[in-house]
Amino acid sequence: MDPSGIFSTSYASDSALVRTRAQWLALALFGAALLLYPWLASPRLVAVANLMLVTSIVVVGLQITTGYAGQINLGQAAFMGVGAYGASVVEVKFGLPFWIAVPAGGVLAALAGWAFGLTAARIKGFYLALTTIAAQFLFVFVVLNLPSSWLGGVNGFSLQPARLGPLVFDTDRALYYLFLFSTAVMVFGAFGILRSRHGRAFVAVRDDDVAAGMMGIDVPGTKARAFVLGAFYAGIGGALWAYQIRFVSVDQFTLFNSIWFIAMMIVGGLGSIVGALIGTVLIRIVQESITTLGPDLIEFIPTLSSDIVFASMNVFLGLVITGFLLLEPKGLMHRWNIFKATYRLWPFPH
Amino acid sequence: MQRRPFLTCATAAACGLLLSTAAHAQTTINVAALADFAGPYANVMNDMQGGRLAVLDWWNKEVGEKLKVRIAVKTYDTRYDVAQTASLWPGIKAELKPALVLGLGGPDAAALQQRLPEDKVPMLFGTAAYGFGWKPGQWALNIRPTYAHEAAGFVEWFRATKLEGKRPVKVAIITSEATPAYADMAKGLQSYAKAHPDKATFVEAIWTEVQPADLTLQVRRLANAGTDVIVIQTNTAQAVATKRALQALGKNIPIMLSLHNGVAGSSRALGDANGFAGDFEVGAIADASEDDTTARKFYRVLQDKHGLKSGWNAMTMIGLGQTIVAVRAIEAAVKAKGADKVTGEAVHAALLAVPFTSAELMGLLPGVDFSADSPFPTGSAKVNVATMKDGKVVRAAGDVAVPTVPKW
Repeated sequence: MDPSGIFSTSYASDSALVRTRAQWLALALFGAALLLYPWLASPRLVAVANLMLVTSIVVVGLQITTGYAGQINLGQAAFMGVGAYGASVVEVKFGLPFWIAVPAGGVLAALAGWAFGLTAARIKGFYLALTTIAAQFLFVFVVLNLPSSWLGGVNGFSLQPARLGPLVFDTDRALYYLFLFSTAVMVFGAFGILRSRHGRAFVAVRDDDVAAGMMGIDVPGTKARAFVLGAFYAGIGGALWAYQIRFVSVDQFTLFNSIWFIAMMIVGGLGSIVGALIGTVLIRIVQESITTLGPDLIEFIPTLSSDIVFASMNVFLGLVITGFLLLEPKGLMHRWNIFKATYRLWPFPH
Repeated sequence: MQRRPFLTCATAAACGLLLSTAAHAQTTINVAALADFAGPYANVMNDMQGGRLAVLDWWNKEVGEKLKVRIAVKTYDTRYDVAQTASLWPGIKAELKPALVLGLGGPDAAALQQRLPEDKVPMLFGTAAYGFGWKPGQWALNIRPTYAHEAAGFVEWFRATKLEGKRPVKVAIITSEATPAYADMAKGLQSYAKAHPDKATFVEAIWTEVQPADLTLQVRRLANAGTDVIVIQTNTAQAVATKRALQALGKNIPIMLSLHNGVAGSSRALGDANGFAGDFEVGAIADASEDDTTARKFYRVLQDKHGLKSGWNAMTMIGLGQTIVAVRAIEAAVKAKGADKVTGEAVHAALLAVPFTSAELMGLLPGVDFSADSPFPTGSAKVNVATMKDGKVVRAAGDVAVPTVPKW
């Protein structure tokens, strides 16, 4: 909400993502900080940032499917796995470079998402949740049971580092820039999609699919598209993950991961791209801080045994997430939006 | 006369300084230990970690002091999660500069197997290996051969002792498709049976859930096919379901278990302290039998002098086994390169170059000889076979040779 007296005078300014000079300045400073980050941060923090960037893409995809289109998806990790395996097959079997392998991973995951999107057109709620859980198990069974010459079977896939001409992405710093660029493109794309006719259709279907149908929206098609898009994002994330770890196996993409992705989306705020990013960063920071704190606590207080320290750390992690959900069930973005509206309108209450 | 006390004090101070310099001359070599105190292995991690720390304490006091080397360990909780291990590793490498990593399981291998050769830090696992890790030039090494190798060693022993070598053993496996690790065990056993038709006939792989409710139908099928031995590795729930099925059918087919789901633990899960009597527990590492073995004596030393509180069980053994190989490799690297030149690369070279004997490994392992071709010992690999009698684990056979198994 803009304060009284500030209004757009053209369609371009009305639809702009960045609307004021202050916002441009803040964005430029944020961009500069992101570019400088790997030179200022420790190797561990760069590795953490890499994971955050890859996970962000997957969670943004989930936000499109669940947060915007209202289609519950408990199989996002499976779609991520399809992307990782897709990219691996394209690189290992066909010898294609990573800049083809990564989008190919996304497309293959989108195809898998389409198959589940078709079921979403017919069922909803708990039934859809169960169907997407099935995606998680199907993924494992398909990979393990197809001939190992196709998808590696139990052996998985080992990948070479991503290369782009003379550039080799074999260090955490190099990967950071690759992932940062990919995340920026995907996030920008998400904003574009959600501000388009399709994005508005997603929201309409989420809010009331019967009313949306009455208004002429193709409800089954919209639900399927939401799954296709969400899975495409997961596939891109999975393909990038494959180039980070350089070894892909089915047990890297579990139901447990899917649940973490949902937690990230909820903590950040349903129905917000920035919320998905904030949720991912926040959950990861809490996880990593706790993981780092454990060994240091044992070192400084040797009388504390490892099992007590590490178990306590994880209880603390659970409490932090529960606390977030209790105190701000609409997610951090809701709180931020209230704060933003308040300072923009200050000193007036409305 | 007044100069004498001054001289005495000065001499004492000089001696103190010298001693302190000598103490400072001690070189510290860092080791990173990856643990899971919050994931699926949280309930057994304490035993394994206790084993690791006791061996390090023993080595520092008994061997390190003479070499003027101290091995320092820092533990990291990975929650048995690939992402967590991947994010931790750059920090571990930069801050700790470890000469070796004590790994826990599959997620650690998945996250680091491509990075370790570039970072030149070896990682040791205490579990048996998997076929999917059977690649040359690895830096993630298992101190035991694959689960399929361990099962094959048992099958040949069973054929020689129970069937008197008259016919091939009809062997079946009950496992799951839930993870690559479970599926790998069946594929490896099939590979062995295919290569040795005179020793083993593969009846069937029963693919079931990780925690099956009932296996009566499947076990009846195996019984009708004349199965001699059922192999179930690393899964207690499947072992218990199979035992219940055998009891319901009134059949007595021996079950071969691994250390993770050994006869004692599975009997407890069954609710009968002697429930797995006559079944077998097999591993290429000291078994948890009550016999007065070299490993058991070493365990008592660690209990008495080095604060070991972990029980005499498989997880403790895994911790003891991986750490004894680690300290011996570091010791070999110190002797080869000098204490101040021990890097991950030097330790890896020592692991590949030096065949460690069972005596050097305090009887915990039959001997370990890594090669560049496989990330686990094959040449010296032997398994111990334990069984259950009157509720106690007793050794049935020791140092049973492991046959060759073709890659699968």
